[in-house]
Amino acid sequence: MSVSRVLLVCWAALATLSVCTVALAHFGATSLLSMAILLVAVGKAWLITDGFMEMRHAPRLWRRLMLSWALVLAAVVGLTLEVVR
Amino acid sequence: MSTSAESTGVFRRHLPGDLAMWFFILAELSVFAILILAFAVTQALKPQMFSESRLLLNTSTGLAMTLSLLTAGLFAALAQEQVRRSRPRHGAVFLLMALLAASVYVVLKLTEYRHLLASGLGMEHNTFFTLYWILTGFHFLHVLLGMVILGWLAERCRRGLYDASKRSGFESGVLYWHMVDLIWVMLFPLVYVLS
Repeated sequence: MSVSRVLLVCWAALATLSVCTVALAHFGATSLLSMAILLVAVGKAWLITDGFMEMRHAPRLWRRLMLSWALVLAAVVGLTLEVVR
Repeated sequence: MSTSAESTGVFRRHLPGDLAMWFFILAELSVFAILILAFAVTQALKPQMFSESRLLLNTSTGLAMTLSLLTAGLFAALAQEQVRRSRPRHGAVFLLMALLAASVYVVLKLTEYRHLLASGLGMEHNTFFTLYWILTGFHFLHVLLGMVILGWLAERCRRGLYDASKRSGFESGVLYWHMVDLIWVMLFPLVYVLS
């Protein structure tokens, strides 16, 4: 797949996931939906990191650092909201 | 997501842009992580206030802002691909399209800010709006700086100052924009959506 096509696929996936985020919120405000919304956010962050920022070609340590930022942040936010709920 | 280089197994792992830019990005991501966590902790402590205040924001506007930032990111990445093919003037055109998409975000954000201020929902209205203004305002400043960088890169591309062998500075500038996108995709659900 050409680089331009990879970028277009990434953008289409990002746009679709963004619409999914808003659609999920319309179903209610349960813990499960909140977790799903956070997971979608992590998926989008990974698409930007690996797709747009090209971390899929980067040294593994840098790639792991960048991918873990969104994952750890979403996990801590999810735990914070869940623990107090 | 494999490219032809990957499928033949001949590519070498490479960090795009300058190493200094990556340390800068890590520092920025850390600062925003702290702000986002502060928002989440306060929401956990005052869930009722946050739910009610969030209803005063327009989720559709937030979605439109997300799409405009992501589209700008796509055009910036396509511009980078043109520079790698030593076609900087094509790159300049893509960067101008990125700036156009980013301008949509700026117009939407300023309209939202004006509407909130007119409704008396300024920084001192309640804790939700204090954090909303700090988080989104700080991010908005990053978007403005990102647009200045994209404009500067476009001008240098127009003058043919970048090509396949001379592109590290260009990649660093584009990476800054992607960082702004990356922060927004984590910030958007927390501020506009997550109850």
